[in-house]
Amino acid sequence: MHRIVVDAMGGDHAPDEVVQGAAEASLALAGAEIILVGDAAVLGRLLPRLRHDGARMRVHHAPTHVEMDEKPAEALAAKPEASIAVAADLVARGEGDALVSAGNTGASVLACARRWTLLEGVRRAALAAVYPTELRRGEKDDPFSLILDVGATIDATAEDLVGFAVMGSAYAKLVSSNRRPRVALLSNGTEAGKGPASIVAAHAALVETTELNFIGNIEGLDIPRGVADVVVTSGFVGNVVLKMLEGVSETVVRLARYAHKERLTWRLGLLALSSAIDQLKTITDWQQYGGAPLLGFTHPFIKAHGRSSARAITNAVKVAHKALAGNLCGNIARTMAELDERARRRPRTADPVPPASAEDDR
Amino acid sequence: MTSLPVRLGERFGLLDHVPPGLPEGARPPRHTFRWDLDKTYLRTEFDSLRDLAKSAIETASDKQAYPGATALLRALRQDDHRICIVSGSPTQMRQVLAAKLALDGVEYDEFVLKNNLKNILRGRFRALRAQLPYKLPAMLRSRIGAAAEAETLFGDDAEADAIIYCLYADLLAGRVTLADLERVLVAARTYDDDVNRILALARDVPKADAVRRMFIHLDRRSPPLGFRRFGPRLVPVFNYFQAALVLYEDRVLSARQVIFVALEMLDSGQYEIGNLATSIQDIIRRGRVTRETALQLSAEAQEAARSGALSGRNDLPPFDEIAESFRERVRELRGIVPPVDAAEALDYVRLVDEEHEQRRSRRRRGIG
Repeated sequence: MHRIVVDAMGGDHAPDEVVQGAAEASLALAGAEIILVGDAAVLGRLLPRLRHDGARMRVHHAPTHVEMDEKPAEALAAKPEASIAVAADLVARGEGDALVSAGNTGASVLACARRWTLLEGVRRAALAAVYPTELRRGEKDDPFSLILDVGATIDATAEDLVGFAVMGSAYAKLVSSNRRPRVALLSNGTEAGKGPASIVAAHAALVETTELNFIGNIEGLDIPRGVADVVVTSGFVGNVVLKMLEGVSETVVRLARYAHKERLTWRLGLLALSSAIDQLKTITDWQQYGGAPLLGFTHPFIKAHGRSSARAITNAVKVAHKALAGNLCGNIARTMAELDERARRRPRTADPVPPASAEDDR
Repeated sequence: MTSLPVRLGERFGLLDHVPPGLPEGARPPRHTFRWDLDKTYLRTEFDSLRDLAKSAIETASDKQAYPGATALLRALRQDDHRICIVSGSPTQMRQVLAAKLALDGVEYDEFVLKNNLKNILRGRFRALRAQLPYKLPAMLRSRIGAAAEAETLFGDDAEADAIIYCLYADLLAGRVTLADLERVLVAARTYDDDVNRILALARDVPKADAVRRMFIHLDRRSPPLGFRRFGPRLVPVFNYFQAALVLYEDRVLSARQVIFVALEMLDSGQYEIGNLATSIQDIIRRGRVTRETALQLSAEAQEAARSGALSGRNDLPPFDEIAESFRERVRELRGIVPPVDAAEALDYVRLVDEEHEQRRSRRRRGIG
């Protein structure tokens, strides 16, 4: 039985929407137990109002929680029994198998980083995000590509980027049922030598892999097109890209609202496009996707959007269950081990001949 | 033993089955356990025509009892205890359902099925789906034949069992008058002659505040809060381990019998030890069983385990480990105080109307 720990107090609409989403998941997932972490009195009042399976859903008390706008490190220091900390602890102690939270992202990542261990061969964890693209992928026609890292690690070495590629590919295979996810490095040009040293070195390493379907470098404008299923970058760049993409989406919506108010002809135009717009909204609805993972640790952690409704939480729990059932962490560890083994077996290039020394002349 | 013509008449729905009642001079039972069958004991789907058809042609061995239900029924079958089954399944299914109960080793004293053929022949199509005008008189007639000191009722959340059982309990206890009952029967769209028949039974039934417990098996996973208005005697349960825990607290079952219910649930493959431990937490959190009861059960179960209740069960972890996981679930709640349900006077007419509306809404949505 897979035990999925849910931070019931994290998120803009917690605990009501989180508990409702988890309750729905308890009905859908026969092979899982859901552990709600939070104020037991509050959760105890909410659960009986909802359809759920009382044999597959339990409450673990945590007296406090981290607010969305608190500084992560300070909040965790001041609130050692915050729901996210208690939840991460449960998983660390082996009393849970995966974690789902819609709460403060920084606090979530920090809580996991302080308590969990990294997978063998993984140097740094990566926080991934999903983004809707023009092209679809996998057996389920998934409209979302995966971008990582988007902020768990600010700087990334070439080895880190290779690790992110492995992790992102394993995740995409599982969640999108995509047998050969296209993995690309984000750079300022498609040529192999473009970009900073870490990108160039990562490119050289990834080109040699057979485990991954590496398609080379892509540029920023290729992200929304969906040319790659997994876009690999450092945390700093990833975070900037993600915020920009979100800003573009919000701007488009604001422009459409402005157009709707401003002129009748524009309003009529939007009306004519309304079914297409609805279709677009459906395929880019992040709530149906249910969150994105923090990859690299020995346990899956699905970070749901802070504004998650019950549906998004249900889907996040389902993704966590899928990650456990599909042995995501095991697959990542195995691929990292294979890459490591290949790197060890690679023939070493001849050492450069040392320059003649004054001693040789004597 | 009833004669062959009578049995054939009952089998084909031409005659109503009348429960035999107690033999002359027999001592009244101490405790009667009344069970519904579909969705309470048996996992039955009849939310669509296809499910109905499937249920009708299933053999006895195809039918599945809910994990733990059989062990519980067997545990309740003790000296001076009576098992009475009242089911909305048609009389034509008696043979296959009786065979299923026999396969499961369940003994019973009464087994009443619904004579829907008679309803069809009389053109009483409302009666085909109606539960209250069928179950209530069946229970009243059964009690007239053999009135026990105490009764415990088992139903489910698919139809109106909670309403019917509370109405029955309040009738016996004198909290519902015949005039009230008449109003409820009219609200339930009961045919006039059935109203008169039911009122006559209610007049004759031996009165006492006999109903100690009502269990509603949450087959549809209805929110438990919806049952709070029925008061603390009615306990919605997600599974029969929870029912066994409550019955243990009521001193109806021993720790050993609770263990047997748990073992049957584990053996079904649908439950793990973690699920049973979580079930304990759930029932405590809802205020239906106390922490002290859980601790006492743990101590007595340990004793039962030592004396062989778990012998031969090498597939299970050591009992101490099991008990610790149960205790851990209780500790997870820390000091929260469970809610206390107060009994409120029930407006049965309103309840019947609401239930009728909900059924219509479900039919409109195509879910039975």
